[in-house]
Amino acid sequence: MRIGNFEYVVPGSIQEACQFLLEHGADARVFNGGTDLVIRVRDGHWNPKYLVDIKRIPELKELSYDDVNGLTIGATVTLNQLGSLEVVYRQYPVLIEGAHVVGSLQVRNRATLVGNICNASPLADTAPALLVYEAQVQITGVTGERLVPVQEFFVGPGKTVLQPGEIVTKVIVPPIANSEGKYFKHARRKAVDLSSIGVAVLVIGKDGNHVDEVRLALGAVAPTPVRAKRAEALLKNATVTPELLEQVKEAVASDISPISDIRASKEYRLEISGVLAKRGIAEILGWE
Amino acid sequence: MKVVGKRVKRVDAIKKVTGHAKYVDDMKFHGLLHIKIVRSPHAHALIKNIDISKAKELPGVEAIITGKDFSNTTGLYMADRTVFAIDKVRYYGDAVAAVAAQTEEIAAQAVKLIEVEYESLPGVFDPVEGMKDDAPRLHENMHEYSHAVFIHPVPHTNVSEHFKLRKGDIAKGFAEADHIFEQEFSVPMVHHVPLETHTTVARMGLDDQLEVITSAQSPFAVRQLLGTIFKMPLNKITVKAENIGGGFGGKAGLQIEPMVVAMALTLPGKYVRLTYTREEEFQSAVNRQGLRAKYKTGVKNDGKIVAQEITYIWDAGAYNDYGVNIVKTAGYSCSGPYEIDNVKADSYCVYTNHPVGCAYRGFGMCEIHWGIEQHLDTIAEKLALTPVEIRLKNGLKDGSLTVTSEKLQDVGYLKCVERAAELIEIDKKAAPSKPYKRRGKGIAGGYKGPSTPPAAASTAIIHLLEDGTVNLSISATDMGQGAFTALAQIAAEELGVDFDKVHVCTPNTDYTPYEWQTVGSRTTYSAGNAVIRAAQDAKQQLIAFAAEDFGLNSADLYVEDGMILSKVDASFKKQIQDYAMGLVCSNGSGKGGPVIGRGVFIPEGVTNLDFETGQGRPVNHWTFGVHGAEVEVDIETGEVEVIRMASVFDVGKVINPATAEGQLEGGLIQGLGTALMEEMIMKDGKLLNPSFVDYNIPTSEDCPEIITEFVETPLHDGPYGARGIGEPAMIPAAPAIANAVYDAIGVRITSMPITAEKILMALKEKEAREKGAN
Amino acid sequence: MKTYRVSFIINGRKQVMDVPANMTLLDLIRDELDLTGAKCGCGGGECGACTVIMNNNPVNSCLVLAPEVDGAEIITVEGLVKNAELDKIQEAFIENAALQCGFCTPGMIMSAKALLTKNPHPTEKEVRAAISGNLCRCTGYKKIVEAILAATTK
Repeated sequence: MRIGNFEYVVPGSIQEACQFLLEHGADARVFNGGTDLVIRVRDGHWNPKYLVDIKRIPELKELSYDDVNGLTIGATVTLNQLGSLEVVYRQYPVLIEGAHVVGSLQVRNRATLVGNICNASPLADTAPALLVYEAQVQITGVTGERLVPVQEFFVGPGKTVLQPGEIVTKVIVPPIANSEGKYFKHARRKAVDLSSIGVAVLVIGKDGNHVDEVRLALGAVAPTPVRAKRAEALLKNATVTPELLEQVKEAVASDISPISDIRASKEYRLEISGVLAKRGIAEILGWE
Repeated sequence: MKVVGKRVKRVDAIKKVTGHAKYVDDMKFHGLLHIKIVRSPHAHALIKNIDISKAKELPGVEAIITGKDFSNTTGLYMADRTVFAIDKVRYYGDAVAAVAAQTEEIAAQAVKLIEVEYESLPGVFDPVEGMKDDAPRLHENMHEYSHAVFIHPVPHTNVSEHFKLRKGDIAKGFAEADHIFEQEFSVPMVHHVPLETHTTVARMGLDDQLEVITSAQSPFAVRQLLGTIFKMPLNKITVKAENIGGGFGGKAGLQIEPMVVAMALTLPGKYVRLTYTREEEFQSAVNRQGLRAKYKTGVKNDGKIVAQEITYIWDAGAYNDYGVNIVKTAGYSCSGPYEIDNVKADSYCVYTNHPVGCAYRGFGMCEIHWGIEQHLDTIAEKLALTPVEIRLKNGLKDGSLTVTSEKLQDVGYLKCVERAAELIEIDKKAAPSKPYKRRGKGIAGGYKGPSTPPAAASTAIIHLLEDGTVNLSISATDMGQGAFTALAQIAAEELGVDFDKVHVCTPNTDYTPYEWQTVGSRTTYSAGNAVIRAAQDAKQQLIAFAAEDFGLNSADLYVEDGMILSKVDASFKKQIQDYAMGLVCSNGSGKGGPVIGRGVFIPEGVTNLDFETGQGRPVNHWTFGVHGAEVEVDIETGEVEVIRMASVFDVGKVINPATAEGQLEGGLIQGLGTALMEEMIMKDGKLLNPSFVDYNIPTSEDCPEIITEFVETPLHDGPYGARGIGEPAMIPAAPAIANAVYDAIGVRITSMPITAEKILMALKEKEAREKGAN
Repeated sequence: MKTYRVSFIINGRKQVMDVPANMTLLDLIRDELDLTGAKCGCGGGECGACTVIMNNNPVNSCLVLAPEVDGAEIITVEGLVKNAELDKIQEAFIENAALQCGFCTPGMIMSAKALLTKNPHPTEKEVRAAISGNLCRCTGYKKIVEAILAATTK
């Protein structure tokens, strides 16, 4: 069965892509990994006249790391390609854990990290990691470039700050020292499922039970992926105790605003988010 | 034995691993037209008008048909449906009209241009509500519907079948009991999820010969039912069914074929095809009925069950053409594999405005054992008995009387109980992997017979070819369960030829002989017996020719390794191909003719059951088995991990260990899926999870370690003693997991599936109760 | 409808075609090249029955658009048979009875092929992860996992 009715456009450069997207507005869509887009077009949710395949633009394929700028992930780098850079496992474990639980292996061979965040799904598995690493999103438009912190990139379900004619060219994840992290995905089955809740935990400056800082970010519990700011405040320069973790658990619930859907109820999300946050910190501190 | 019991390679393996096996949607047809269906966006509504004028004008549209074009009723056991809905729609997704067009895209576009005017009606979305006097009625004319003699609809209600079982004296039984336990359980509608969706091709020849190529389990049932609907002589219908991408009951009887045939009749000379999308499959193909189960059980202090009163209320969906017989089967199997002297059961099939229920692996047994086996553990705990003890105390054994008062023989159930408990090491409790996790173990048993009408027949033909090779002609289908391989093994064994000499001719109603249906785990038993008889018939012909040729006594001759040999003369040796084409005399003249073995089988002694009491002999044999489960439950998140499972079934005789293990493993995991994650989530009749995104089935990472083992208590009239196994393999998996969860955390989840959320809620309730108690 | 010239390698042979933009790779191989081993089980990248190997990686061919294959190398299950000899994974599936209805089998085998090409000696855990995007409703996966592990010793 044919999917939609559109023309296939292959721009040779970022500028060409932006120009085309600007000219055609809502009629044109960026075609990157396509693992969500093809389904939306198939189901008639989107009816683009043009798909702009950016996968042949050389600059967008960059995947690199240096100690000054950190990790650069070009727009067309697939979730599985992320793992080709060994430093990602070492420096950004939360990110690799998040990337490796998106869809199936087959999907991850096509889907990109940038595509994952551009869909702005509240439950995107890579988003909590990017939030705790405080990544920057580089956006290019016809008139130039801008750098947006990832926490400002998401506006609502399916909505980002991207303007007509703009594309995300790369995500930059700053270097981070002395950190340990984890990503917990809660889903109905063990593989290839959408997250009911995603929790990223990053502990910075651990010394025994003392921590300089803990960053917590959650998916599927609010209109956008969110940082749990109240809970994080409790853990600033703190000595972690079981009692403190109970407070953290309660604070996490106050930081989020989940809804009930067929994957989980609001009450369940409120409960489990704190449990997983608590568990992540305890595991990183070597308690369990 | 030389072939039976051996791990021979599947006869369909090479074509399946190379991608050469052609499924219906893989086939190419010149000028093929594509069908798309117009479906109801209401769960219950009157059809006021259908306007096809715009769609008709769309270039590439070849035909549009609606309910009025084909008004005949149909249904396997209850003639409650038409090809398309005519006056009203009864579920969200009910078929209203069909378009055939040159491409799928045009057909889909035309569907959108068809304007159907509906008048919405109040619906029935709960079977218990549906039984009430003031409930909206789905089938106002049910009392006029024709149905099988063994089905008992309640006129002027939504109850399409009320099966009654009365054994012993229930009042006396409860009076004798030291304890009475009452419990309720529920099972949601779940989906078969064959990887291949429903798909059918048809062409009405200009010579009036109808050709149907379909992914169907039972080509002869398709032929017969199509003949009835379209009033065609059966020899004018050819049905072919070769490769089937999974059935599990969902492709039994008649499914999408009438819609495709209706279109073929409208467009003579043209091939038309309908293949469901996955979303259409979930919403509009058949499913497993939902169940509300209620048990009241009287027990002596020693654990002996003396009385049981059961109510089964089935959420059967909008059409119950098949479902009525599941409800009956649940009724005559109501107490599970246990001997209880006094039983009263009522099983009701209730029309609801939900998608259509149908046969699904287990035919009601998975659903009822979910409650039976958990209820039993509940009783055992209260009486301080172990799960093994209570099952050994009450389990069916040789000489037991079933709930229909059938006296049993050759029952291996207790052996299965003991062995499954041993394999799962039920007495050893392993330490949990984390402080916030708990481990538990559980077992559950189950039984099932082939739930067919009493006189369901099988046939087989064996053609001996010129070179001594064999064509085995059967119409049992292979939807993956391995029927072709097992039947070829039986043919080779009985005929005395090498396994690789046997070729299986796949079902085509023109050329392969009658088979009632490939359902009910009946194929190895029923078709297997027919194959044995066909082989014996062929052997007798060979021996008769050899005896005449050499003036020997045919009683002295036998066939082995492709040779005719003599018991009395070791030097006598003739190849079977010498007589394959008949006897050629020394003067060159011929006698007899080519050897064609004919075998027929019908199970004898099965009867219709008494209408008032349900007593009688409902099935030709029973298969028993037990699952054991070990789980780990996260008490902070409610997540359940199944660590390992054991499956022990009494199959009578293993025909092929590899394919039989495959049945145990596959059935177990299908049961695990229903236990933990599967459910058709509906709101006012609309399915909220009609795709793999939100209807999850187990992946390779969800599967525990699996241990399988067979018990072999031969069935006196089974082929080499074999019993059916396909369906039984799934039955006790879900309650075994539920019992293990209870063992781990002391919380019983009575509504399937056992989700993390239900566990967490139940744990919190338990905690609150215990706090309250202190 | 506008078409796009694509030149690619399919099962070791060069192919040049003109394809519309809205055709999937799955339809291209099934309808245009008659390679019907890959199946459509869902059309949404959820079941894996359409898995083929594209540039050494397993992908859901139902989510790849035909014009994208320009310059790519594609292997389908039909491409595993060389001179009428089955691939060792196919042999192992037969020997281990690792198939039932057969509908998921071609996709499953392609996922296994991609795995063993990159990682000739995977652990059971790695095997299970590699095929977790391929749904099988019949087997319970046990024999499939055993077959893939058996193929590593051939």
